Amino acid sequence: MEPLLLVKNVEKAYGKGTNTFNALENISFEIDHGEFVGVMGPSGAGKSTLLNILATIDTPTSGDILIGPDNIAKMDEEKLADFRRDHLGFIFQDYNLLDSLTVRENILLPLAIAKKKPAVIKERVEEIAATFGISNLLDKYPYQISGGQKQRTAASRALISKPKIIFADEPTGALDSKSATDLLESMSALNEKHEATIMMVTHDAYAASFCRRILFIRDGRLSKEILRGRKTRKEFFQMILDELSQVGGETNDVI
Amino acid sequence: MTLFDLAVKNIRRNMKSYSLYIGSTVFSILIYFTFATLKYSNDISGAAATSKQIQGVMGAAAFVLMIFVAIFILYSNSFFMKKRKKEVALYSLLGVRKRSIGCLLFFENMVIGLLSLIIGVVLGFLLSRALLSILLKLMGLDVVAGFTFSTGALINTVIVFFIIFLVTSLMGYRVIYRFKLIDLFHAEKKGEEVPKARIVTVFLGVLALAAAYVIALQDLMDSQVWQALGLATPIIIIALTVIGSYLLFHSVLVYVLSALKRNPRWAWKGLHMMTASQLLYRIRGNAKTLTIITVLSATTITSGGAVFGVYYNAEKNVEMYMPYTFMWEGDQQTIDPAIIESEVSFNSKMIRVPLASYEMEYAVIDESTYQTLAKNLEWPEVQKLQKGEVFAIDAYFDERWSDKLESVNINDTDYKVAKFFDQALFNVGTLGANAIVVPDQLYEEMDSDEKLLQAVNVIDYKKQREVSDKLAASTENFSSATADYNSSIESLGALLFIGSFLGLVFLVATGSIIFFKMMTEAEEDKAKYAILHKIGVSNKDMKRTIRGQVGVIFIAPLLLGLLHGGVALTAVSNLLMMDFLVPVVIWMVAYTLIYAIYYIATVYNFNKIIRRSYSEG
Ligand SMILES: Nc1ncnc2c1ncn2[C@@H]1O[C@H](COP(=O)(O)OP(=O)(O)O)[C@@H](O)[C@H]1O
Ligand SMILES: [Mg+2]
Repeated sequence: MEPLLLVKNVEKAYGKGTNTFNALENISFEIDHGEFVGVMGPSGAGKSTLLNILATIDTPTSGDILIGPDNIAKMDEEKLADFRRDHLGFIFQDYNLLDSLTVRENILLPLAIAKKKPAVIKERVEEIAATFGISNLLDKYPYQISGGQKQRTAASRALISKPKIIFADEPTGALDSKSATDLLESMSALNEKHEATIMMVTHDAYAASFCRRILFIRDGRLSKEILRGRKTRKEFFQMILDELSQVGGETNDVI
Repeated sequence: MTLFDLAVKNIRRNMKSYSLYIGSTVFSILIYFTFATLKYSNDISGAAATSKQIQGVMGAAAFVLMIFVAIFILYSNSFFMKKRKKEVALYSLLGVRKRSIGCLLFFENMVIGLLSLIIGVVLGFLLSRALLSILLKLMGLDVVAGFTFSTGALINTVIVFFIIFLVTSLMGYRVIYRFKLIDLFHAEKKGEEVPKARIVTVFLGVLALAAAYVIALQDLMDSQVWQALGLATPIIIIALTVIGSYLLFHSVLVYVLSALKRNPRWAWKGLHMMTASQLLYRIRGNAKTLTIITVLSATTITSGGAVFGVYYNAEKNVEMYMPYTFMWEGDQQTIDPAIIESEVSFNSKMIRVPLASYEMEYAVIDESTYQTLAKNLEWPEVQKLQKGEVFAIDAYFDERWSDKLESVNINDTDYKVAKFFDQALFNVGTLGANAIVVPDQLYEEMDSDEKLLQAVNVIDYKKQREVSDKLAASTENFSSATADYNSSIESLGALLFIGSFLGLVFLVATGSIIFFKMMTEAEEDKAKYAILHKIGVSNKDMKRTIRGQVGVIFIAPLLLGLLHGGVALTAVSNLLMMDFLVPVVIWMVAYTLIYAIYYIATVYNFNKIIRRSYSEG
């Protein structure tokens, strides 16, 4: 089967002239349909840079990124906007909710943008809110709910349009462990039951243990890849910890 | 539900930031329309004799107002757009094309413009009537203000603001096009470099200001700078002041703050470190705003102070050259004896005195006339003439260009000028500014035409218009303090009105610009203060820091603005030879008070934003 996402020789340089700094060097990998991939690495390794480039928020200095038949590294801005609308979902560490809209309205924003019918929208909102356990919060405003609930709202918004691929950058970074577990379980369930494709940047081994595969990145280069295979989440967690101690990454740094 | 519906909802729920923006635009339109209405009003042009001048001043003021209003709306608009960056970025992230976002914002801004235009014109219509009454009162005209709607003013306002809104809308569109999604994720992280104070810039700043002040305070008549630069001088002064203020904010503040921060005894006490860092961190961006505020304040203080000063001096000015209420040449006239305070009938002759390069005509009066006139005017010491002496009077005397008369030759005898007076003994308008007082006997001997003069002082002279008009019709060479006072009040009143009107507008706008600026900073500083709150800093300490942070932004430009204004007003008062001290102090205190109200409101709102952020987060 064709991979869903194909990354070929992606490079990203910041700065100019002698001051250039290569944040990403020669990155190549693939993600198949229905995968839940984690990206780990010490802070400053280039994880966010990579994710932003894949998510069309930033542009690579060189290289190709194919999602299905489309090369997003070569698309113009208008096309990229359409592409984001139709195929991508985003969850960030800070939730990026609009304070002036209710939870429901925040969630349905992508469908409103895609001009879906109200009946369809209503149905989808209720469905996705149930998955994330926030059905009873739909008419509240962001400032009335907790951080964990905000992040689940953001996740619902990312998933409501059934995107081909979901990008998450440290989605649990600002959450307490209970909220983080709730969110990760919901994402994992979506991945398993609905075959949602997810790519998640994290530096927390616990969060990473929910993934099926993990890419390690160091100084802007891919350094290692490990697969969960048939292991339980606990076993996988141990494996990640071992890996981190081997490569000397920080296991318990904050943020 | 469409994106449009959501956008509309967003407007309704974001009413606060919208109302701030709409408030600014309505205010601008209100002010402009009111002013335009006054400009087009027949009441003023019909009533005032000096209306041509007033129309001219009003036209110029309207132009200044227009430029200013445009800048103000641009500033509010960019503040408003900054607050909406998150919303716009989110739309873009979720895949709305830039063109659609641009159209949405363009459309929205035009709707806001139209709405503000309607509200502003209606309010302006009501306000203009009230202001018109005030204006007519200040001009001393007893006309009842009509309640007419000026179509000319409306058309003028609509055209001006349509252009302004079109420009802001297009600028909003451009902002969207230049905006890159990644900026949203880096915006907060992008730390500005902490600037270094360079002693050279400090020096240049002080030098520029010193130069501007020195040039401004030079005497117009014998200044070499003025001679060399001519009419470009004021522009150079203004440019030097602006550059100097900018450099001063740019580096002197940095210098002071860095020094403070390096001093542990100050910096490590409570949150001092934080206040200094906050200010230091943004000094680059702040220097520009601080300079704008300084220039606006200085302009307001100078123009308001000058106009108020002249108005304040109007009475003195009239009385200086018109010590008697009425004076004329010829026979006595009948005036109601009840209003007469004093009355003199005297004779005067004329003499031509050759000076260095020209001849000057002097009125000659005898000593007894001088004594009567001086006693009526309550001159403190009325001296007697000694033999071979005369007195000289020059009401227009100015040591910068007048020659002091030392002696005169009358009937082939030289007389020494024993005393020289530089104030008027009688109305300049009837008998001229120059006079010589000679002994009674010499007066008799002088061979020259003699004329009979009448000088009358009445009570409540400002109100004796009827008497003044009647005398004016029946006498020759008539001069009247009443008429002079009233006509100068007419034009000065309009000037005062325009000055205070513009001053008020500038003041409101200056305050609003600082307010907008500080609210933006509050939004940016939310996170920092939330951290402080989390590590257990008390509300009281936090409030103190906020007061300090806001205080510097308010006080620094105010002080510099007052200084600039003070220097400029000194220059103006020297030029006009009027004493501005009292009116200028009154005006400066008033300005500072209103400014202080802005400070309190800003601190209050800053606190509110910070508190909301950590009680939520
Ligand atoms: N806009 C930028 N300009 C210059 N350097 C940047 C920029 N964004 C990120 N970097 C640098 O690129 C590197 C990777 O950053 P990032 O991808 O954010 O790391 P992380 O793995 O912690 O998410 C870091 O060294 C960072 O300093
Ligand atoms: Mg990161």
